[in-house]
Amino acid sequence: MCGFWIYSGVFPSEGRNRANEREPKDEYGHGWGWAWPADRRVIYNRASARPDGSPWSERKKLVWWDEAAKKWTGKDVPDFTATKPPNYVPPPGAEGDAALAGDKPYILHADGFGWLWVPVGLNDGPLPTHYEPLESPISNPMYPQRQANPVGLNRARTGNEYATSPDARFPYVLTTYRLTEHHTAGGMSRTLSHLAELQPELFCEISTELANEWKIEHGEWVTLVTARGAIEAHALSTSRIRPLKIGDQLVHQIGVPFHWGYNGLVKGDMANDLIAISEEPNVRIMETKGLLCNLLVGRRANNVAKLKEYHSISEGKTA
Amino acid sequence: MTKAAFLTDATICIGCKACEVACKEWNEVPDDGMIWSGFSYDNTQALGASTWRHVMFLEQPAVAGPQQVDMENPFRWIFLSDVCKHCGNAGCLEACPTGAIVRTNVGSVLVQSDVCNGCGYCVVSCPFGVVDKRHPDGRAFKCTFCYDRQSAGMTPACAKACPTQSIRFGELEELREAGVARVAELQHRGYADAQVYDPLEASVGGTHAMFVILGQPEAYNLPPAPEIPTICLKSAWMSALISALVLAAIVCAAFLF
Repeated sequence: MCGFWIYSGVFPSEGRNRANEREPKDEYGHGWGWAWPADRRVIYNRASARPDGSPWSERKKLVWWDEAAKKWTGKDVPDFTATKPPNYVPPPGAEGDAALAGDKPYILHADGFGWLWVPVGLNDGPLPTHYEPLESPISNPMYPQRQANPVGLNRARTGNEYATSPDARFPYVLTTYRLTEHHTAGGMSRTLSHLAELQPELFCEISTELANEWKIEHGEWVTLVTARGAIEAHALSTSRIRPLKIGDQLVHQIGVPFHWGYNGLVKGDMANDLIAISEEPNVRIMETKGLLCNLLVGRRANNVAKLKEYHSISEGKTA
Repeated sequence: MTKAAFLTDATICIGCKACEVACKEWNEVPDDGMIWSGFSYDNTQALGASTWRHVMFLEQPAVAGPQQVDMENPFRWIFLSDVCKHCGNAGCLEACPTGAIVRTNVGSVLVQSDVCNGCGYCVVSCPFGVVDKRHPDGRAFKCTFCYDRQSAGMTPACAKACPTQSIRFGELEELREAGVARVAELQHRGYADAQVYDPLEASVGGTHAMFVILGQPEAYNLPPAPEIPTICLKSAWMSALISALVLAAIVCAAFLF
């Protein structure tokens, strides 16, 4: 019995918790902790042996076919049907694991081969490449003629405007992230005093360089504005956040945790008001890690006039 | 009689604050206020009547051990879970006039909240600033070393919850040796400023909470030589006696001349 599938096998006998074991027996770490499901340390390790089952390299050998014992053996737990010989040829009509030949190590792929690219299933590809985010302070250095993902779905509309790349109104990169103390947007954790007290208010993290440039005092209120909305947050200036030197440009980043909202023991503006509704073509998740923004000193309510320059609907969004 | 202890290792703490939350959940400690501090990610700020474990976040312009990258702008972010030191000679215990503070059979120092009358003498007598009065309750509270859990053969809640084994709980002398061994290993790996905080020389007479730290203890709010107030008793009474004699001499002199 186990509480969750990832733990099945972690308690092999009464009083033994393999995840707590701390005696490494070899260079692969067997004996130190445990890897679900069979304490196998290298996935697809059948690929460390030639098609005939002998190791590619004597020095780096991992698993190999033991002809005498008629099974796979080695330094790691074989990631392969232990008794399937290297010369196994699937009979016609074979299904599942039986349909994979003895020289096909990639057992989670239907054809048993390793793939340099994804032949099916993705709306972009097949090879990995680089595009800039939907909003970026620079042009794509890899494909100057193609800035962002050409098959990304554009959902621009009133209230969901996109900045251009680059955009003179929004010189900084904004990225959103989580803190340990809160769960997703904070709907559950903001109501628990022992978690809420640890991260009680929204803040944004800026570099000491950016703080000096704007003469922002540590802890002072600032307003962050994107093409969609504006939020207010305490400024936390820290040398953990550093400006990025991209080509000849110095690009400042602003980090914002997204755990606050309008109810709970602790409240604050929502970082998600800033992000763009855009759709990555495969999983259709919006971009939240690389957006363009600007920074205004002071609380949102004190920046109403300035915010009107950024969006037509800013009046309705100010406190 | 075994002596229980904590060994808390700053070099493997990840700053998750699970110890703080586990402590409060087990001991039913109320929240300590919803105040954003601006001190890195640390909004707890310090140990207090309603914070018995405190994970401090230190941002330092210093090299982190064998770090090789960006040596012109060295930076390290250190976390350390602070706790009551359960001193060998405890200032709070010596100051307590009601007997509310006692030495337990595991060597820890326990404030019995049903006896405490809230006088606050222990608060000023702690060389580490650990004991604190809870407002508006008025009584003093601090880490109990999970005496209830220990009595039932269990690990204190903070050490139990620690996901990286940064907080180790065990026998005092074993952990003292483990701390020295850990520092030797860290120094071997390039952490030249690693050291154990274990003030054996000072008048607290060794503590039941030791720490593995990088750099100087002052940065962690740990006094390099924590002294208990009673070591000043002799000089204080001597000063009082001399003052009294001088005053008496002056009064006598006023009659004579």
